[in-house]
Amino acid sequence: MPDPTPMEIPMTQVACTVNGETFTRDVPVDMPLLEFLRDVLGLTGTKGACLEGECGSCTVLVDGETINSCLMLAAQVNERNITTIEGLAAGSELDVIQDSFVATGAAQCGYCTPGLIMSARALLNDQPEISESDLLTAMEGNICRCTGYASIIEAVKRAHRESQSA
Amino acid sequence: MFHQPTTFEQALELRRALGTDATVINGGTDVVVAMNHGAIHPQCFLDVSRIRSLRKVERQNGHVVMGAGVTFSELGKMHFRALREASLSVGGPAIRNMGTIGGNIATASPAGDGCVALLAMNAEVQLASKARGDRWMPLVDYFIDYRKTALADDELIHAVRVPHNPRSRWYKIGKRGAVNISLVCCAISQNENKKTELAFGCVGPIPKITPKASALLAGEELTPELINDAANLVTHEVSPIDDQRGTATYRRAMCGTLTKRLLTQLMKDDAKGDADA
Repeated sequence: MPDPTPMEIPMTQVACTVNGETFTRDVPVDMPLLEFLRDVLGLTGTKGACLEGECGSCTVLVDGETINSCLMLAAQVNERNITTIEGLAAGSELDVIQDSFVATGAAQCGYCTPGLIMSARALLNDQPEISESDLLTAMEGNICRCTGYASIIEAVKRAHRESQSA
Repeated sequence: MFHQPTTFEQALELRRALGTDATVINGGTDVVVAMNHGAIHPQCFLDVSRIRSLRKVERQNGHVVMGAGVTFSELGKMHFRALREASLSVGGPAIRNMGTIGGNIATASPAGDGCVALLAMNAEVQLASKARGDRWMPLVDYFIDYRKTALADDELIHAVRVPHNPRSRWYKIGKRGAVNISLVCCAISQNENKKTELAFGCVGPIPKITPKASALLAGEELTPELINDAANLVTHEVSPIDDQRGTATYRRAMCGTLTKRLLTQLMKDDAKGDADA
C-alpha cells in the first residue's frame, strides 16, 4: 500500500524580530522554531540534534530568556524578540563570549558551541555577579561530546571577567 | 489553525468549540517532543502561552495558588522546599523557562517531578470549562490511569493550590546530574499537626501516594524505628515496573531508602528546631 497522501498542514502568519531585524512569514502551524530559523530565515548557526530538549544545541534567546528552539513552535514567537548566535557579533567584532571560546580552545567540532554561547549570554546578561554554582546551573542544559567541560567553563569565566573589567 | 488567545475566557470558548481537535500547548516541552518523535501530528493548536493571568502566583485563604502557566523557573524561586527543588531538577534552564506546572499536570507522566511534589503537598487542581465553570479537586483524584486524567474534553487546567505551610522535602534518583529524567523520585510533607504525606514518581502508572505509610506516621513524633517501619510499608505500597531507566526491584528498594532519607532529615531538623521558610 502506498502511503496515504500527506495531509495539507494549515499555515499561519508569524511576524517577529530576529537579531534586530523584523520578519513576516507564512509558516506551517506545526513548524518548530528551529526549522523556521534554519530553513526559512537561513540562520543555520543554531543547531538541532536530539529534538527532545536533552542536548541544548538549539538554544536561542526569546525575549532575553533561553529556550530550546526545537521545542517551541514558530507560530508561538509571533511579536516576540529572538536572538540567535548570528546576532551576537557586531560585524567582525566578536562577542566577548565568542572571543573567550576561541581564546580558551573551548570548541572542537563546534556543534554544541552556539547553544553553549547562548546559554552563557543569558547568564551574563542577567547577573553582574555569578557564583560557580550559578555558572554550572546556567550551562547544565548543554551537552558537549568533544572537549570536556573544563575549557568551556573557563571560557565563560574569562568572558565574565572581561565584561566586568570593560 | 493556530489559536493564541490572550484571556482564559477566550481559551475556554475555543476549547468548548474545538474539543480534542485542538492540541493544547504552552511551553511545548511535552507536545513538541511527541511531534518530533512522530507520535502525534496535530494540525490545530490552542496555545495558552499568551494568557497573562495563568502566570500568577498568589496567596488566598491559607493557600498558595499557582496559575497553570507558571514555569518551572518561577517555581524554582518558591519557598516550598519540595516544589522548589523538584522544579529545579527538571531539565536545564531553557526547559525550565518553557515548561509549566499546568503542562506537567496535563501530561500526567508517572515521572512528572512537579506532580510528585504537589501530591505530597496535598495540592488541589482547578479545572475549568465554559459550560460548567471552575471545579477544584484533590490532585490525587485527578490521576486516573497511565496518562488518563479527570480532565474533560471541554476543560482546561486553570490553577493548582497547596496549603500554605507544609514542611517538605524532595529527592530524585536519575542517571545524570542535570536534564535528568527521574528513575525514582520522592517528596514528603508534614504539617503542624504532624500529618505526613509521601508521594513517589516512576513507581506505577501514575504519580503515587502511599496512604498506609501516611496513616502510620499520622500525628507521631518521628523516631528511627517509626521511620524504618514507614519505609518498609512504602516498599509494599508502590508498584514499579522494569524499563530502560531501571528495574522494578531497584526502584522498590529505593522508595524505602528515600523514605528513610527524607524522614530522617525532617526528624533531625525537628531536633534542631529548624523550620522551612
